[in-house]
Amino acid sequence: MGKLWVISIASIFMLLPFLGNAFSPESPTDRRVLVLLDDSAIKSSHSIYFNSLKSRGFDLEFKLADDPKIALQRYGQYLYDALILFCPSVERFGGSIDLAAILDFVDSGRDLIIAADSSASDLIREVGIECGVDFDEDPSAMVIDHIGYAVSETEGDHTLIASDDLIKSDVILGSKRIEAPILFRGIGHSLNPANNLVLKVLSASPSAYSANPKSKLSTPPSLTGSAISLVSIVQARNNARILITGSLSMFSNKFFRSGVQKAGEKTKHEKSGNEQFLTEISKWVFHERGHLKTVNVKHHKVGETDEPALYRINDELEYSVEIYEWSGKSWDPYVANDVQVQFYMMSPYVLKTMSHNKKGLYSTSFKVPDVYGVFQFKVEYQKLGYTSLSLSKQIPVRPYRHNEYERFIPAAYPYYGAAFSMMAGFFVFSFVHLYSK
Amino acid sequence: MAREKSSKDNAKALFHSLRSAYAATPVNLKIIDLYVGFAVFTALIQVVYMASVGSFPFNSFLSGVLSCVGTAVLAVCLRIQVNKENKEFKDLPPERAFADFVLCNLVLHLVIMNFLG
Repeated sequence: MGKLWVISIASIFMLLPFLGNAFSPESPTDRRVLVLLDDSAIKSSHSIYFNSLKSRGFDLEFKLADDPKIALQRYGQYLYDALILFCPSVERFGGSIDLAAILDFVDSGRDLIIAADSSASDLIREVGIECGVDFDEDPSAMVIDHIGYAVSETEGDHTLIASDDLIKSDVILGSKRIEAPILFRGIGHSLNPANNLVLKVLSASPSAYSANPKSKLSTPPSLTGSAISLVSIVQARNNARILITGSLSMFSNKFFRSGVQKAGEKTKHEKSGNEQFLTEISKWVFHERGHLKTVNVKHHKVGETDEPALYRINDELEYSVEIYEWSGKSWDPYVANDVQVQFYMMSPYVLKTMSHNKKGLYSTSFKVPDVYGVFQFKVEYQKLGYTSLSLSKQIPVRPYRHNEYERFIPAAYPYYGAAFSMMAGFFVFSFVHLYSK
Repeated sequence: MAREKSSKDNAKALFHSLRSAYAATPVNLKIIDLYVGFAVFTALIQVVYMASVGSFPFNSFLSGVLSCVGTAVLAVCLRIQVNKENKEFKDLPPERAFADFVLCNLVLHLVIMNFLG
């Protein structure tokens, strides 16, 4: 009886990962999301945003950031597919979460959304630094813009800014243009220009700067102009996606619902662009868009169908690969004109752009170069907003066998003719010599 | 001036005497000389061709030239052995000389065909 009990518990634990809906290579959209909040009021004051996530099928679990029972993994299995940190003022996370645990979480390929605010703690700033963004060091600084601020009756210190300096990418922001400017109120951050994994999605206008709104400026501010990024994304090399922003109130119901009029402009928009912007970009962060997979890498000699173990120099061959994009529910064919394949040995001997048949099958054919050795078919595809593809298949290339050279060399025909004419001359001469007087 | 005229005359006289002496050689020797001339001429054509086009299949070039030169050499040997005025080969029957010539040519052409490529 005791043994049966133990066996049933063990089997339940082994089946646990299959019971929950998790993200997998077959279905890469995240499912279970842990949301850490500073206080539970955020759950209701940002309800429009959370409801939009729930309506797309995410299981949100709300916990306070210092709840002692929170954990990202248990028994080596991750419990969540994505993490949202809406806790800008947390000094220490509760439970088993800390900076290292969050970084391991991202290293395992899972996604992260971080929202800081004007009261951002050192811990949140450190998480930002590890992800590649530097928040302003001054703890009381906010982004101020005296030219691009949002006109409102109450706020007078121009910390509520309206920005429309968005990155141009349909993958990240969706195909529909965001008409209204986006309201922002919080701290700005800057990106290291040498880091090519992190991108500015929403930058501040050239007239913005980051300073304490309550005190007079004594020194010129360190962060100014378009170098200030309001919202950034990071796509890591393992295709984990991170969204970092310096304003928690950007996600709030108040900003979603309010109209916006940028100072100096005449048009007053009824609704700010926040809801559309954040909904679309969360689709990108949670892998509902821009996630590619490759299947069926095939290569063969022109005219044959099976894959040979090695090629000969100057062979004609065909290479094909199928690339699909996840649409949130199913794999659709990926359509692009810039996927290239390299035939590589220390350097690419052949680099060709592949053509596609609109169903996601990319193929091209080329001639093996006149060099023998061990080559690789390499596809290295990095496009803004899409997962990076890195395929590599090794194939040896042999030189000609001794009987594969051309039998008679046209340049040597005179010599062939001379040798045969000598033989004929010898034959004729011997007859003449024998039978003449 | 007299010396120039005499050197020209000497050259002319030399040329005429050579011609008349050569006219006196037997016909079969003249046939052998013709054969040697044909071989050397073919060799010269091949050298001119190689000089213009380049020596790409060098083995073929060597084989072609060697076949011409070898043929010329063997024909000259045959002429020496068959010439009745030659005291050294007085006792050698001309059939033996011809048999040697044929065998050597067979070996030569075997080598040529192998090296021609």
